[in-house]
Amino acid sequence: MVDRLLEVDRLAKRYGAVAALDELSFEVGPGEIFGFVGPNGAGKTTTMRIILGVLAADSGGVRWAGEPITFADRRRIGYMPEERGLYPSMGVTEQLVFLGELHGMTRDGARAAAAAWLERLGVAGRGAEQLQRLSHGNQQRVQLVAALLHSPEALVLDEPFAGLDPVAVDAMSEVLRDRASSGMTVIFSSHQLELVEQLCDRVGIIRAGRMVACGTVDDLRHSGPERLWVDVPSAPDGWGAELPGAGLVRAEGSRRLFELSPGIDDQGLLRAALKTGPVREFRKDVPSLAELFRQAMNEEAVA
Amino acid sequence: MNREPSARGGLGSVRAVYLVARREFVTRVRGKVFVIGTALTVGLLAVYAILQITVFDKLNTTTTYHLAFTAQAERLIAPLEASGPSLGFRVQATQVSNQAAAEPEVRGGAYDALVTGDPTSPLVVVKTQIDSTLRAALDGVVRQEALDAQLRAAGLNPAAVEAQVRGASIHLDTLQPFNAKNLQQPIIGMIIAFCLYLFISLYGTIIAQGVVAEKASRVVELLLAAVRSGQLLFGKVLGIGLVGVLQLAIIGGAGLALTVPTHILSLPGAALGTVLLGLLWFALGFVLYSLMLASTASLVSRVEEVGPASLPVTMVMVLAWLLAYVVFIPDITAASGGPTPAPGIENLSTIASLIPVFSPVLMPIRLAYGDAPLWQSALAVLLTLSSIAGVTWAGARVYANSVLRFGARIKLSQALRRVA
Repeated sequence: MVDRLLEVDRLAKRYGAVAALDELSFEVGPGEIFGFVGPNGAGKTTTMRIILGVLAADSGGVRWAGEPITFADRRRIGYMPEERGLYPSMGVTEQLVFLGELHGMTRDGARAAAAAWLERLGVAGRGAEQLQRLSHGNQQRVQLVAALLHSPEALVLDEPFAGLDPVAVDAMSEVLRDRASSGMTVIFSSHQLELVEQLCDRVGIIRAGRMVACGTVDDLRHSGPERLWVDVPSAPDGWGAELPGAGLVRAEGSRRLFELSPGIDDQGLLRAALKTGPVREFRKDVPSLAELFRQAMNEEAVA
Repeated sequence: MNREPSARGGLGSVRAVYLVARREFVTRVRGKVFVIGTALTVGLLAVYAILQITVFDKLNTTTTYHLAFTAQAERLIAPLEASGPSLGFRVQATQVSNQAAAEPEVRGGAYDALVTGDPTSPLVVVKTQIDSTLRAALDGVVRQEALDAQLRAAGLNPAAVEAQVRGASIHLDTLQPFNAKNLQQPIIGMIIAFCLYLFISLYGTIIAQGVVAEKASRVVELLLAAVRSGQLLFGKVLGIGLVGVLQLAIIGGAGLALTVPTHILSLPGAALGTVLLGLLWFALGFVLYSLMLASTASLVSRVEEVGPASLPVTMVMVLAWLLAYVVFIPDITAASGGPTPAPGIENLSTIASLIPVFSPVLMPIRLAYGDAPLWQSALAVLLTLSSIAGVTWAGARVYANSVLRFGARIKLSQALRRVA
């Protein structure tokens, strides 16, 4: 990273005998969208709460622009907690204005920003209603407005897509991309890995409080041993089991998946394949984020 | 990153507390509970005042007797009229020429009675029966008339004899004088202490429930990312406290407006100082107890659990109240003529009234009494203010440690230990 806006440095947190976070570190730069994935209970919510200062870490720290984060810095973060929470019987605009003012906005400024964001997220005209009168999806949009209202420098969103319909997911993704392109840093957690893959510049995979993989989606996808799919319809049944430098992972009909040993050139495999007859397919197998995620979980489970 | 110092300052503490307090105040004052509750109370007061004017006052009004007197009995009119105010009646006397002429009108109800004949033994004609008060009054007047006649017969001046008789009286030596003021002031103190107790029970509970409601709706996490827990706590107490003050002012104002003109209640002017000092203690007591209630409420996750969780605080409050009785009831009895209290009790009241959790209840009574020296008053205020600071600190800590933990009730010691 050239420029680090937010750094999480060796955070540790225990709940009794359970280690929720174990020396967790990562950093996010300005304008970057960082996806935070991991199974339930891995420590994503705990990390976000510590960043926002609503929880204290046992050790380690959070830095904002290179210095230990202060209370005033935290006001410049927009936050969407995992547990959605607004005042159910308070008017939508009224409570947004209140939250905006708590973040240092003026009353008029907060009112204007609330109106603009409600409009943008398609809940304009509901401002005067009590929050509890809105549908679940619309309440979630209001919750996002609460995070965006005060033009924060960073957004920390805990499962922002959970429970949203596809239209709302698109609207929310659109807003996040737009904010990031205008320089806002975004950290969000999600179980929807395709979405993370599409949206994020970088991804962190966390398990049992530890970062097991962190990098751009491309880096992660290409970080493992090189795998290749080869379609050789004329090859005899047992072909490929004993090729030098290329281990057969599995066969699906006439297609075979090989894993190359480190340093082995894929052209050797192609030449060997051509000897069996025609080669209909020869391509790199790049795992999806979902596959990487499963792999990471399995490796940890074995280890 | 650009880190301009002006933007780093963020929100001031005062503004944060103000914003939280304003939200509590505005949303609650507009709420159904407040509007209906206040309107209902004022309505009940109005009904009471109207009843007082239209019904109760009527019950107490003086009756007027329409009486007919013949010329011979006319001498009884003046003494009868004079005895009226003390017995609660007025006399409307009419002269009639003779008994026969007036009797039909007695029968018709125009006169309550006809008085005729010798003033020392007159004949009284009524329709069915004579009013007992009127009879007693007439008997008294006639006896006096008979006595005067006897005195005159004995050659004495009835007026001179009466003056002599009126001048004779006992000479009183009061060993322990009853002082109305001594009694009135501690009673006002007790009333203030009792109002405080009611006020804390009502609004302290609303604050405690508000804390749990914020926890239950999870909005507290969003709030704590923007304001410190102490600011949130203090703002809540202030905002809801002001709602209570407003409600009290509306009800109290309406009560005074309705009762003072109708003479149901009169304001003792001398007690104004007591009331003002009482109000200071009222504010201190409310803030102290509300902070404790709010902190203990943050330990639980559901509104139903607020009661049990805040039981220790409520018990301290009840204890303060009991102390007030134990310590001051004997004094009040003494002020109104009962036995003087044992000297040990006085020390107990002095010491107890300096303990912060008891001061708000006991100090107003002692002040009303006038037995608290200035230094003790000042010391108690100082001690209470520092415990408010202490409770805010500890409460903020408990609050921050508890509000994000849902489910089972959290132990107080645990909540205090973990630093957030």
